[in-house]
Amino acid sequence: MTAISQRRSGAFVRRNGSQFIVIGLLVLLAITGFIVSDRFATVANIMNILEQSVTLALVSLGQTLTILTGGIDLSVGSMISLASVLLSGITNGDANMVAPAIAIVLALGIFVGLLNAAAVVWLRVHPLIVTLGMGAVLQGITLLYTMGPAGKMPLGFDWLAFGRVLGLPVGAVIAVALFLLTAAFLRYARLGRYIYAIGDDAIGAKLMGLPRTKVLLFVYAFSGFMASLTAIFLVSRFGVGQPYTGANFTLTSITPVVVGGTLLAGGRGGVLGTLLGVYLVSLLNNVLNFMDISSHYQLIVQGLIVIIAVSVYVEKKRTL
Amino acid sequence: MSQAVETNLSAAASGAENARNFLRQYALHIALVVLIILSALISPSFLSGGNVSNMLLQAAPLGIVVIGQAFVILVRGLDLSVASVMATAAVAATSFNGQDTDALLIFVVAIGIGLITGLVNGLLVAKRNVSPFLATLATMIVLQGMRSAWTQGAPSGNVPPFYRILGSDSIYGVPYNLVITGVLAVFFSVLLAKTTFGRKVYITGGNPVTARLLGINADWITITCYVISGGLAALAGLILSGFVGIVDNWVGRGFEIDSIVAAVMGGVALSGGRGTIAGGLVGAAILVVVFNSVLQIGMPIQMQIIIKGLVIVIAAAFYVRRAA
Amino acid sequence: MLTISNLSKSFPGVKALSGMQLDVRAGEIHALVGENGAGKSTLTKIIAGVYQPDEGQIEYDGEITHWPSPGAAKAAGVHVIYQEFVLFPHMTVAENIFIGNERRGLLGMVDHGQTRKDAAELLHRLGVEIDPDKRVVELSVADQQMVEIAKAMVHKVRLLILDEPTAVISGHEVELLFQRLQALRADGVAIIYISHRLEEIFEICDRVTVLKDGQFVASRAIADVTRDQLVALMVGRDMSELFPPKATAASGAVVLQAKGVSAAGRVRNASLTLRAGEVTALAGMVGAGRTELALAIFGGLPMTAGSVEIGGKSHSQMSPALSIREGIGLLTEDRKGQGLAMLLDVAANITAADLQTVSRNGFLDRARENEIAREEIASYQIACRGPQNPVVTMSGGNQQKVLVSRWARTCRRVLILDEPTRGVDVGAKAEIYRIMRELAAKGIAVLMISSELPEVVGMADRVVVMREGTISGELTGADITEEQIVRLATQSLAA
Repeated sequence: MTAISQRRSGAFVRRNGSQFIVIGLLVLLAITGFIVSDRFATVANIMNILEQSVTLALVSLGQTLTILTGGIDLSVGSMISLASVLLSGITNGDANMVAPAIAIVLALGIFVGLLNAAAVVWLRVHPLIVTLGMGAVLQGITLLYTMGPAGKMPLGFDWLAFGRVLGLPVGAVIAVALFLLTAAFLRYARLGRYIYAIGDDAIGAKLMGLPRTKVLLFVYAFSGFMASLTAIFLVSRFGVGQPYTGANFTLTSITPVVVGGTLLAGGRGGVLGTLLGVYLVSLLNNVLNFMDISSHYQLIVQGLIVIIAVSVYVEKKRTL
Repeated sequence: MSQAVETNLSAAASGAENARNFLRQYALHIALVVLIILSALISPSFLSGGNVSNMLLQAAPLGIVVIGQAFVILVRGLDLSVASVMATAAVAATSFNGQDTDALLIFVVAIGIGLITGLVNGLLVAKRNVSPFLATLATMIVLQGMRSAWTQGAPSGNVPPFYRILGSDSIYGVPYNLVITGVLAVFFSVLLAKTTFGRKVYITGGNPVTARLLGINADWITITCYVISGGLAALAGLILSGFVGIVDNWVGRGFEIDSIVAAVMGGVALSGGRGTIAGGLVGAAILVVVFNSVLQIGMPIQMQIIIKGLVIVIAAAFYVRRAA
Repeated sequence: MLTISNLSKSFPGVKALSGMQLDVRAGEIHALVGENGAGKSTLTKIIAGVYQPDEGQIEYDGEITHWPSPGAAKAAGVHVIYQEFVLFPHMTVAENIFIGNERRGLLGMVDHGQTRKDAAELLHRLGVEIDPDKRVVELSVADQQMVEIAKAMVHKVRLLILDEPTAVISGHEVELLFQRLQALRADGVAIIYISHRLEEIFEICDRVTVLKDGQFVASRAIADVTRDQLVALMVGRDMSELFPPKATAASGAVVLQAKGVSAAGRVRNASLTLRAGEVTALAGMVGAGRTELALAIFGGLPMTAGSVEIGGKSHSQMSPALSIREGIGLLTEDRKGQGLAMLLDVAANITAADLQTVSRNGFLDRARENEIAREEIASYQIACRGPQNPVVTMSGGNQQKVLVSRWARTCRRVLILDEPTRGVDVGAKAEIYRIMRELAAKGIAVLMISSELPEVVGMADRVVVMREGTISGELTGADITEEQIVRLATQSLAA
């Protein structure tokens, strides 16, 4: 009896352990921040953390879904760059062009994602290679379009990045809402369940006749869409799109996902873990700033966190 | 009965099939030759002495990195940290007083950084079962941070003349760095193709479970491959710093992708256990020729990146089809 | 319901099916029997839409059909319970049961509460106690099989195919399964039942179709055929021709002794003695721990207790390197997963366990290696284009011969073969039996793990039977009969 209940609780911790660890780390960081600076626990600073985390949150939300299927999307960084320059280039200061430009870059993100999925499905090339190649193509197109900052956004467009609804940063509210919606989608939509099934056992999914093509088209299109959405918030923040603005996002978008307990092998994890991962990374950078630790060291810490996270959560698959 | 059928098949097939096998096996070399001929036809200056030596100078550091990348891919891995190792080695080259008296010290420090990075990668992958992508991504980020912390943003200082010569001078018209690449290529090809270590690399990559059941220390083999990749990347970083002369924090940027593209294009299978150093080097050569002819033809430099992206997907699709 | 005619299917290097025919009616349980490698799995996968036939036609429900994907077959009401389950290990039991057929409520959303409730009810109706909230990975193999069966009851099944459904369940669970199948038959479902256990076929099936070497042999009503006739149809020849004569001399010295070995939670306190010149069979049901015991002896799995004595030394822990040094060879059950490096060539695979003889100071001697490979190819009649032929393009039988030759070269004392004839054709089978006997005659102790009873009876000088991780008995000489083996393998279950 005891043995069984122990095994149960063991399974529970195994299943949700990553979340506990991340929450624990979040608390630890918050305490540290509280100790090192009296400016840490202020409304202004918390708003600041929320604002800064928006773009990372959006792009890693899309990334989570591709990773859940056992894939990955390495084209998000270039997609963000391309969408950024197109958005501000097309708008070019004209308030009337904002809506069409947003529609265009969002549609483009979806289209690029569909192309990625099509290559994965029909060329049967690993997503890593497909999206790596796509990333290069998109970066090239971006640089053909402009080598420097392109166009500008009209006044007021920075509302997305700096505005408030109900006293909270607009972007953060949107991001959290999207995370909750996606979590509900993954749990309650059939397509959402199939994302897990395909990541869990791709061959089994095929034998069960689950719609792999449809699922992959959806997740890569979603990832492309989220990359474009990220670009919109970036442009709002900086006022202009730049051709390398997304470069770092390709790899940093993966950090919150794996820190949040989603396995690169697919099938296990979820977007709420990723959201915690996003806030962990943002809080970490914030606290390190208060500790007067330069951004160089922040990189080191981030890398170490990835190493620790993946080697803690990793599942021993070795049978022999 | 089925045996008899098969034997007959193989006998009958030998004629036409051999020709097709030849084409399949040397598709890559043929592609390279065709590419060179096309480029020469379109742009007469392509085969000019200046352009050729320019291409060879560029090819050398990439070739060195590809050798290491091939080892890692052969054991079902991937090394994203090579560019970061290169940049760190280059920073090391400028971190002393810029005189030849420090050349040896620089060499030891730089290669040491590469070997240690490789060791960490290998340990994470083999002992902790971390996916190679994440392990090398993490070491890449850590190295990047350490580098910028050390240089406080921008490196200053000079590359000692010794490395300048290694990176950009020639002997009898052959660039020094190409000579180094050639020597390394031969050495590591022999290691891979002619030694028991090389055979164990193939077995470990081809089937890790089998390797273990054959008493092969698969973990050790895997770790060694990452160490080789780290060390070679550091060397390539030194040579590249000598080629460009000025060092910033991003020497070697893009080499992680380019080296993977070249290896995959050269037939080194991402699923492990298949491919050769020579194949990877031909892949690197194709990449350099493509990059160069893009410029020679007068296309904007951005097309290089676009073509690179298309080429990697097409090459991978080609090998998928061939395997099927 | 389902009529298959003139169906053929080839894979690189092997013809899996040719001129196959099958006729299954609604409301019958139709047995599909044949030896390993007869083509049952390929036929199943073609019916399920996984493989496309090269030629021939499938008539389903009066219409000529072609299923381009498993999804299409599923939509037509075809459900398969594969021997290797199709379960998503990290999803719950309830979700697995209803996957592809989700219980949905408001706005088409998946209703997890309803799913759980229906799953619980279904499992209850099936007569098993499985927590629908558990993840499949946490279940025992037998429970996983019951979940697979529950899954089949959800779909609107019109044709149900079961591939060795009783391989991992026993006693009470088998009864539950048969009750279900009878109910489905009464509902007019067509059922194809694949099994090695002839007694089950006589108990529950209405008709039987026999396959051999990828070809149709016969279809009969169960009432019109006896067990012996069925075996004769399956084998199609006198089995004794396949097996070389057994050892006549008295057994030699003890070569290896495993004492009280426990491993992997699947083997408990198992002891085993292997003698020179003897072929010992390790028999038992799938999951009895035979493979794990072999791996523990070889060093592929850690021993949690016990010891292995070889070469006058006792080891409390073995390792593959040590085993190979001591002259033990292990031909694993899973040829592709644990045996061959598929992309490497024949020569490299043959010499993989013995790199010392083909190298000097760490350098490979390719000429010597090729010479050895050519000799082995000739002596085992391995059909390939030469030493440089990658093994991936070869047929199962020839791949197996590559592995046999690998270990035959290095094993000086003991050769363990785990299901050595699985998925190979008859010619290769006879060849492998002959090699085993030859090795034994040279003084090697041969240990063969096999689930094929005729093979065990035909080959073994001594049979050790395992049940639930322990040794349940040993048979020699005239005592080696299928009945005795089955009794020892299932003893406690029958009692």
